[in-house]
Amino acid sequence: MKPSRLTLAQSDARLGLALVAPVLICLLLLVLYPFVFAVYISFTDRTVGAQEVKFIGFDNFRYIFGQYSFQQSVRNTFILVFFLQAFKLVLGLGIASLLNQAIRGRTFFRGLVLLPWAMPAFVAYLLWKFLYDPTQGGAFNMILGELFGTQLDFLSSKELAMPSVIVASFWRGFPFWVISFLAAMQGISVELYEAAAMDGATAWHRFRHITIPGIQHVVLVITLLSTIWTTNSFENVWLLTQGGPSDATMTFPVLAYFGMQTLRIGEASAVSVAMLPIFTMLAFFAVKLLQKED
Amino acid sequence: MVTRLTTPQKVLAYSLLILLALFILFPIYFMGITSLKTVRDIYRVPSLLPINPTLQNYEQLIGTWKFLDAIKNSVIVAGLTTIISVFISSLAAYSLVRLKYRFRTWSARLILFSYLTPSSLLFIPLAVIIAQLGLANTHLGLIFVYLTFAAPLSTWLLMGFFRSIPFDLDEQAMVDGATRLGALFRIVLPLSAPGLISCAVFTFTGAWNELLLGLIFITSPELRTVPVQTNYLITGDTVRMGLVMAAAVVSAVPVMVLYFFAQRFVVQGLGAGSVKA
Repeated sequence: MKPSRLTLAQSDARLGLALVAPVLICLLLLVLYPFVFAVYISFTDRTVGAQEVKFIGFDNFRYIFGQYSFQQSVRNTFILVFFLQAFKLVLGLGIASLLNQAIRGRTFFRGLVLLPWAMPAFVAYLLWKFLYDPTQGGAFNMILGELFGTQLDFLSSKELAMPSVIVASFWRGFPFWVISFLAAMQGISVELYEAAAMDGATAWHRFRHITIPGIQHVVLVITLLSTIWTTNSFENVWLLTQGGPSDATMTFPVLAYFGMQTLRIGEASAVSVAMLPIFTMLAFFAVKLLQKED
Repeated sequence: MVTRLTTPQKVLAYSLLILLALFILFPIYFMGITSLKTVRDIYRVPSLLPINPTLQNYEQLIGTWKFLDAIKNSVIVAGLTTIISVFISSLAAYSLVRLKYRFRTWSARLILFSYLTPSSLLFIPLAVIIAQLGLANTHLGLIFVYLTFAAPLSTWLLMGFFRSIPFDLDEQAMVDGATRLGALFRIVLPLSAPGLISCAVFTFTGAWNELLLGLIFITSPELRTVPVQTNYLITGDTVRMGLVMAAAVVSAVPVMVLYFFAQRFVVQGLGAGSVKA
């Protein structure tokens, strides 16, 4: 090897580190360090402005595990994520297939689907808060009043609050799935479908044996990523119900935020840290999937 | 694209599409008309039509609620986050795709891990760290924490775009006497313009829309960003639906316009890396 090439490799290595350094420093300081720090403070009695911080082992965890709000938040987070993801997956596939047909106005409808997702999440949830408004000023109750002479407490009744949060979250979240699925569907070669049609395959068979295998990787990636973010979403519950009525929609990010407001950050941190095992597991699979893409 | 549809199939498809359009558009329509109504009209004359439209809510939003200041704050925070993030992410992505060095794999892993880590897991320790850095209640502090979601996403997206540019092009430029950085700025970046645009759109809208961290880090009313100021419209004693809907319209319009014009890049970016939603 010529000496000049060696220096090129060396200078490349130095340059490489220098170029990646700004992002790396940011992430070490503001992601990795807080991550470790969160675990550490969840084992302490830290409060905002406290002079002394004591290590108290699992006391925070024992305390929050015994709390009704926490038990509710685990249960609710699970219910919310399960139903929301199931709806987004099934209806997302359905709508994407519909928009993948040879119909007039396809481009228009595709642009339309993007709308709820283009809207800021906090705007979408405020908007739904007023669609659900318990008075006749709310859109749904206005319609219910006109048609059936009745009104519903969408967000303040224990039975309806969670379904209402799920529907609103679906409205804001489904376009991301549809657009991703649609992009994947368009990557499948048309000849495959033509050949199958010639062999007399039904629409369902074509969907099952051509579309599904063609998009399964994307479906898996989207489901996994979205599950991570849905599990941790704050705005939907915060803006619609603030976790109420009496913790019926409490999820763990909202509970952690309330904990933070009481300034007992050791405890609040324990709420987030208790969710780490699930996050780590999902993230582990997501990393594997995404790196396989390279 | 699949096969031609028969007439009954077409009828079914269009019925479903119309239902879908109603589901999407009705809430948006309601937001628009409600923002144009007075409190009296909203409750006394419930209607799905824009009766007695007035700009009163918008005037109040700008007058009493100083919404223009919030917009200015959001533009500063989201704009600076975008510029800084796209710049440092381009450097990082180039380094990770084109150069070989010892910590490369670990760096890529950390970026992917950060990309997946939701801010609701980190906001408590972040608040402590930002306070220790003396950046609590400043726009700079907010920009800093926004980089934690913006930079990993942009780096990840740009790595995909850079990979699709033939390595020969860089090497050709270097044979012609360009340095590595010259190749990055004169060859790779211009060819990745669509990628840079989708990163900028995602970063700007992400920062423009962000509520949780804004709520935690900004305590002075005059520093509030749009989502934070809007949040205080609904946590007050009396919630005025028309006013909140006006705030919603004003907050949504800039990003929706941005998405409309950048639709192509948004969809392309989605395909390239699956964006946080």
